[in-house]
Amino acid sequence: MKIRVFTAILVCKIIRGLAKLAGRGSSLPGKYALKICPDILSQLKLPELSLAVTGSNGKTSTVEMIAHILRSNGLKVAYNKEGSNQIEGVVTFLISDSTMGGKVKSDVVLLEADERYSRHIFKYFHPKYFVINNLYRDQMTRNGHPEFIKSVIGQAVYDDMTLILNADDPLVASFGKGREGTIYFGADNLPSDTKTHEGIYDDGKYCPVCKSPMEYEYYHYNHIGKFKCTSCGFERHAADHSLTSTQEKDGKASITIDGKYEIPVFFTGIYHCYNILAAFTAAVTSGIAPEKAAESLGGYILKSGRISDFTLGKLDGRLLLSKHENSVSYDRSIDVVANDKRKKSVMIIVDAISRKYYTSDSSWLWDINFEKLCGSDVEKIILAGQYCDDLAVRFELAGADPDKTVYFTTVQEAADYCAHNLDSFLYVITCFSDKEKILSIVTRRELS
Amino acid sequence: MNVKILYLYPDFMSLYGDNGNVRIMDRRLKDQGFEVEIIKRTVTDSDIDFTDVDFVYMGSGFESNRNIAAKHLAGFKDALVKAVDDGVPMLFTGNSYDILGKGITTADGSFVEGLGIFGFTFKEQIEKRYTGDVVLEDCAINERYVGFVNRAGVPENNEELLFDAVKVIGNVPMTKDAVRKNRLLGISLIGPVLLKNPKLAELFVNEICERKGVKAKDIDYPHSEKSHAVTLKALMEAEL
Ligand SMILES: [Zn+2]
Repeated sequence: MKIRVFTAILVCKIIRGLAKLAGRGSSLPGKYALKICPDILSQLKLPELSLAVTGSNGKTSTVEMIAHILRSNGLKVAYNKEGSNQIEGVVTFLISDSTMGGKVKSDVVLLEADERYSRHIFKYFHPKYFVINNLYRDQMTRNGHPEFIKSVIGQAVYDDMTLILNADDPLVASFGKGREGTIYFGADNLPSDTKTHEGIYDDGKYCPVCKSPMEYEYYHYNHIGKFKCTSCGFERHAADHSLTSTQEKDGKASITIDGKYEIPVFFTGIYHCYNILAAFTAAVTSGIAPEKAAESLGGYILKSGRISDFTLGKLDGRLLLSKHENSVSYDRSIDVVANDKRKKSVMIIVDAISRKYYTSDSSWLWDINFEKLCGSDVEKIILAGQYCDDLAVRFELAGADPDKTVYFTTVQEAADYCAHNLDSFLYVITCFSDKEKILSIVTRRELS
Repeated sequence: MNVKILYLYPDFMSLYGDNGNVRIMDRRLKDQGFEVEIIKRTVTDSDIDFTDVDFVYMGSGFESNRNIAAKHLAGFKDALVKAVDDGVPMLFTGNSYDILGKGITTADGSFVEGLGIFGFTFKEQIEKRYTGDVVLEDCAINERYVGFVNRAGVPENNEELLFDAVKVIGNVPMTKDAVRKNRLLGISLIGPVLLKNPKLAELFVNEICERKGVKAKDIDYPHSEKSHAVTLKALMEAEL
């Protein structure tokens, strides 16, 4: 073994130990290891089974579910927690799980892979399976746009990997073109599907391969559905594993995969279903028996906290966590509000657009289907935060009734207004970066 | 009175909520008392008619889309150039602005011919994006514009660019931006530029009214004004 590799591992372990003592976890140890040995990742001995998961939405949930299934089935899994998916973070978590000789001790390495950084990490080692869940307009102030992200993910795809792809997302599915042995997952035609496209923009209108117009038999949501290019023959690939139905009765929800594996779930939101399906497919492809995978998923309680229930004065409310700069996530939250037939009001908070970097870009508001929200019989629309004026213009042009719309620069003012003036159920739609501003004011309740 | 907005490639070049610009113009022109007709033309259309249009808009797209749109639009170059010469107000934002020049050297090294209205060329790459919040200043009228840049290329010649980049937050290699000829404005900013820059919206409305021979009504847009003020303040104060 090269002394450089040994030193890198040693230094990484020591710094990590010290950081742990100080109560800090960070990717600093990996940073030092990389300084000592830039190709440290290719020097580590990985187990036979390794998986990586990428995509715009749901990476963390999917990775956690895969880890849960594999662990429930007796495998020792090493995976990177949220926030450590850049190369330094990956080095840190792999070395902390390895022997001094550089052998990773776990049976499985599972990686939440950042869309933009995978290409740097996979230069040094190739996961056996690479799951790509979806590619949306997401954080474009950082990510450019979905086609750019597709091209940089493409630089991380190698011939010796098996891709596990969402068959219903044309941009994702196009990675499978000409690749034998690719595994696909997708949803069958569901009752909630639409024949026509719903939303402000349609990223499935033109073929990602040849740019000719595409036709859809049905849409699950946005550009996710059963597509076919009118020119080059690119079309939705048959799925190896399918979401065949979703059920909700007597307050109990479940989904069915492959027509026979019923999995109880907390909610049947469509993109949550895709995360479950992706995790199921990844686990089964890794050799877990399907009935075992389904059983493990059934016992898994999603901890993502996308939904929080609260009271505000006399009001009951629910926070639907979405992502700023991600119109698809907002559109799904709007679906929840639109489908609720109660008397309801909605607060939208746009205060800090990102928690990781500074931007004042609010262009993504114009990609969100606020028209649907305005048309769904809402009592009051409360627009809050530093960017409430950007929201105000957007809502005005979405057809919001001016008598029903109010604006507040701070969340506190908005909450005070709601507590004193509303008598309906209150939905709050905002992002991780702004959620504490409302959660620190309201009283949390157990989810009902 | 009727005004016609020609919205170029709305389904092909509307990547960053660019549709907002057309919707803002639609609203403001209606506020002026016009009946507004929005004509949408895209890559599958065999004709684009520039006669009798009162405002032309084109937004941003994937570079691959922009290249296809550029080739498509080249088929109507003479009519477009004539409309520019006739003084039709036009706004090209984001990377549709690139095609107003001589052309673009794309990431794969090929050259996409531009409309040639200006002399600049762009050079693109695929390794990274140039993104960032920027403040542009039009020294001639002492006006500042705010917005976001999100592009794959840099201009190779910025002699004719009008506005100074007085603040750039991000990795955008930009010192100057924007071109103007008659009433055509090309600007790198993406998305609903007319929301955060009400002065630009007002400028276009005034130009359209002027060409129609009517006096523009003075209408306040307080949310848009406040959005501009909040953003300008935040950007000027933001640490680099
Ligand atoms: Zn095609």
